[in-house]
Amino acid sequence: MSLISLAGVGRSFDTVAGRVVALAGVDLEVDAGDLAVLLGPSGSGKTTLLNLIGALDQPTEGRIEVGGRDLTTASRRELFAYRRETVSFVFQTFNLFPGLTALENVRFGADVAGRPDAAEEAHAMLERVGLADRASHFPAQLSGGEQQRVAIARALATGNRVVLADEPTGELDYRTGIGILELLAEQSADGRRAVLIVTHNREIARMADRVVELQGGRVVRDGAPDGGAVPVASLRW
Amino acid sequence: MAGAGLWVRWSLRDLRKRWLQVAVIALVAGLGSGAYTGLGSASTWRRAAYDNGYAALAAHDAKVSLTANADVDAATLASVPGRLAHPGWVDGATVQLVVPTQVDASIDGRTILVPGRVVGVAFDGPAPAVDRFDLRSGAALSPSGRDGVLDVHFARHHGLPAAGDLRLGGNRSLRYTGLVLQPDYFLIMNDLGGFLAEAGYAVAFTNLEAAQELAGKPGRANQLVVRWAAGVDPGAAHDELAAAFAAAFPDQASTVADRPDERASRVLYDDIEGDQKFFNVFAFLIMAGAAFAAFNLASRVVEAQRREIGIGMALGVPPPRIAIRPLLVGLEVALAGVAFGVAVGVVVGRLVVGVFSDFFPMPAWATPFQGGAFARGAAIGVVLVFVATVYPVVRAVRVEPIDAIKVGLRETKPSGWAGLVQRLPLPGGSLGQMPVRNALRNPRRSLLTALGISAAIATLVGVLGTLDSFTATIDRGEREILATSPDRMLVTIDGFERRGGAATTAVQAVPGVAHADEGLRVVGRVAPLGPGEVADVGAVGTDGFDVVIDLLDMADAMWRPSLVAGSYPGDRPALVLSEKAATDMGVVAGGTVRLRHPRREGLGYRWTVSEVLVSGIHPNPYRYAVFMDLRHASLMNLDGIVNFLQVTPVPGTDRDAVVWGLFHLDGIASVVPVSTITANVRQTVGRVTDVLDIVQGVVLVLAVLIAFNSSSISADERARENATMFAFGVPVGRVLAMGVVESALIGLAATVLGVGLGRVVLAWIVHGVLPGTMPDLLVVTSVRGVTYLLAAALGIVAVAAAPVLTSRRLRRMPIADTLRIVE
Repeated sequence: MSLISLAGVGRSFDTVAGRVVALAGVDLEVDAGDLAVLLGPSGSGKTTLLNLIGALDQPTEGRIEVGGRDLTTASRRELFAYRRETVSFVFQTFNLFPGLTALENVRFGADVAGRPDAAEEAHAMLERVGLADRASHFPAQLSGGEQQRVAIARALATGNRVVLADEPTGELDYRTGIGILELLAEQSADGRRAVLIVTHNREIARMADRVVELQGGRVVRDGAPDGGAVPVASLRW
Repeated sequence: MAGAGLWVRWSLRDLRKRWLQVAVIALVAGLGSGAYTGLGSASTWRRAAYDNGYAALAAHDAKVSLTANADVDAATLASVPGRLAHPGWVDGATVQLVVPTQVDASIDGRTILVPGRVVGVAFDGPAPAVDRFDLRSGAALSPSGRDGVLDVHFARHHGLPAAGDLRLGGNRSLRYTGLVLQPDYFLIMNDLGGFLAEAGYAVAFTNLEAAQELAGKPGRANQLVVRWAAGVDPGAAHDELAAAFAAAFPDQASTVADRPDERASRVLYDDIEGDQKFFNVFAFLIMAGAAFAAFNLASRVVEAQRREIGIGMALGVPPPRIAIRPLLVGLEVALAGVAFGVAVGVVVGRLVVGVFSDFFPMPAWATPFQGGAFARGAAIGVVLVFVATVYPVVRAVRVEPIDAIKVGLRETKPSGWAGLVQRLPLPGGSLGQMPVRNALRNPRRSLLTALGISAAIATLVGVLGTLDSFTATIDRGEREILATSPDRMLVTIDGFERRGGAATTAVQAVPGVAHADEGLRVVGRVAPLGPGEVADVGAVGTDGFDVVIDLLDMADAMWRPSLVAGSYPGDRPALVLSEKAATDMGVVAGGTVRLRHPRREGLGYRWTVSEVLVSGIHPNPYRYAVFMDLRHASLMNLDGIVNFLQVTPVPGTDRDAVVWGLFHLDGIASVVPVSTITANVRQTVGRVTDVLDIVQGVVLVLAVLIAFNSSSISADERARENATMFAFGVPVGRVLAMGVVESALIGLAATVLGVGLGRVVLAWIVHGVLPGTMPDLLVVTSVRGVTYLLAAALGIVAVAAAPVLTSRRLRRMPIADTLRIVE
């Protein structure tokens, strides 16, 4: 069974101007070890889809199962537990806690997931993203790229099986963005985790094992990138 | 450049966006200015009520009183006003006979047995010429007949009906037909000078003939009250009145007092000033809390507009013009505060007047709107809140545009002491550390919040500490008075008699009386003796202060004052003064003071001044309590004369039975267990401090509002952080708990600050205000543990609980939308 399974998922919003359909009839299977890119222009529904998988939002139709857990029927308490135990987020604007140091931000991820070795894990993850020497720095003292690497370390420190990254390079320059993508790509390599990256950048999609392209709330393409996946370092934008 | 209309509209949108916080801050400011105006208006209303009350009842301007137990021919006394050099200065005069007596007003199985007096009043037509009655219920006093009327304070305190029977000492009785106010008794004072004494002191009025009959003193009187014609110089008239009395009664000592100098009247008016000082302190503290809260909000509004300010600067808008919008927000908040302040002021004013009219009933209490007080309060409210917004605005428009416009974390890079406290090593995991980190990450902001709350707590500690200090003072007095003989009773003899006289013998014969010590009580006045100054014997001292001198057998009495310094009087006449009296006169044990005291001469008494040694100091907090040895009554030419007894019941005897036994004796003016004296004082203080409950209520609301506003602002500012935590699966309850811990930390800091500041306020009240408003009392500074507990409950528990009020907002937070907000 797939790690992530969506069947006939739709999400619509009632507005004063009428009903707006953000997603409709989405079927999707993602396995552990997959590096998938959700591609599409602004308003195509890719972030809505990511939010549904992350249980930040609820579908108005269809069914979502992640790690054998049905998110559409889960209680509010179960959804909180799901987010602690199964998914981790990397945000476009980092969303680090300004009152915590880099190390403490990373440890937050491990603490939330209830890892007994939280302190050691936080050190290890910060080292893994190359920021061991910035452990005691506060977010305001880090560059944008460093902040995003801390955010990734925080997500990885949870040890959760699904990493959801929403436009993770949107705030970063090319060189920094490449470093972040390499880091994300590494996470699916051991076959334990699934990494889903949302982007509107077609070039970034070339690094993925799989590209799920959305337009107008529907999946218009699902498969390997044209010409197959390329190394992150070869991407240009 | 945009017109003024745009800035106003824009600032109003800012207000609307934060309407709840703005409403709360306006309410906080309103509580400050409202407390100031409400309390200030009450002073004006009180003064007007007293002035009008005295005028409406033709209150006396001067009073001639004889020394205790003396009386003169009533007709001659009535002729004194006509003997003035300028008899036309007298608008009216009334002769009175004041008869001290024990009063039994027991009703419905309740024993109400108190000392008091019956005042016989000469009528001039249907009413007395001076000091008329305001009938509150029942039937008015008749110029003839044998009925009386009862003072309303006493009747109301004990829930007595409008008509009834009073049993007086010596098996006499008086039927009263109505309840009245009389201007000489607007404030009830007992024979020891204690005020608001209605619980333990009854005053009944009847016509002069009826009183003479009751007292067995036909044709006699002992008091004359006079009202001056309009435009008369009271000082000159006073002198003529004293001279006229001296001419009419050359052997009779007397006191001529102008009403403004009489203790009851002075206390009434001085109390207004004293209360206003209290109120101003508390109103100022409340306003300070409001100012800190406004400063906090303004800082955060400006912070939220940081990028917009930066964009404005980048577009070349001059900083002063950029400052208009946040300053307008501050002004609008201030104006909203004024609107709230008017409402709060009206409510507080009504509450305060309700309290005062309850224990100072007057013929009429008018409460017209006090435009001046409200204008002052409004001005203070506007200025304080507006000024509080200026600093953060000026600070914001001074940053470089590039810094203001920068996208990213709003927090400035930690530096200086803020950086140091942020790096404090803390135990526990990141979630456990987060509340502390959050509290420390912007120490200035946390401090401002804490300061706002601490102002409220300081007010609370000031208010409750004042109450505690009164309680501690009463406790101290009680310990001293009850000390070695807590069951004893003070029995006042109706007149002077020789030691071992009829009254003493009769008292000793009452079943249940174990022992009776004789004593002599006289009133006097003490004043400091300057260096090298010799008391001018024969001159009457006018400086210093009034005292009650109890002459006791210091060697054998069942009770005598304890000493904190010096020794009991030896062979030479000497005084044992209270600490307060000694301090006020700058005298120590072994020093000397001037004592103005009565001295018997022939059939009457004269005031005289003696230089007297101070042998010891006692700890009783009441300044007027002065003691001498009975052996030294010769100073007053009263050797072997007594007028009161200290009586102890046989152990195991019902004290009330003894009291009733004494009550029925002839020649006994009053019987008061000493424990009743302190109980009445305690009750009186409890009533006086009712008004502080209002201040306390305002303070409680204020602190919770400040804490709620701070939490509400924090919830807005931390929306993304909270959403991030939710995204990572941290439950709402845990996020709330972290908010609670953070608030508790700020509350703890606020409590520590507030308690410290409150102690300063209390010290100022006790040492700076009370000596002026309550000169007769040495108030001991004391704060009970329960006050600290209440401060902690308010400062920590209530403040910590404030974030819970934001739980609905947290639960309804659109997590995904909040996470994607880009600055």
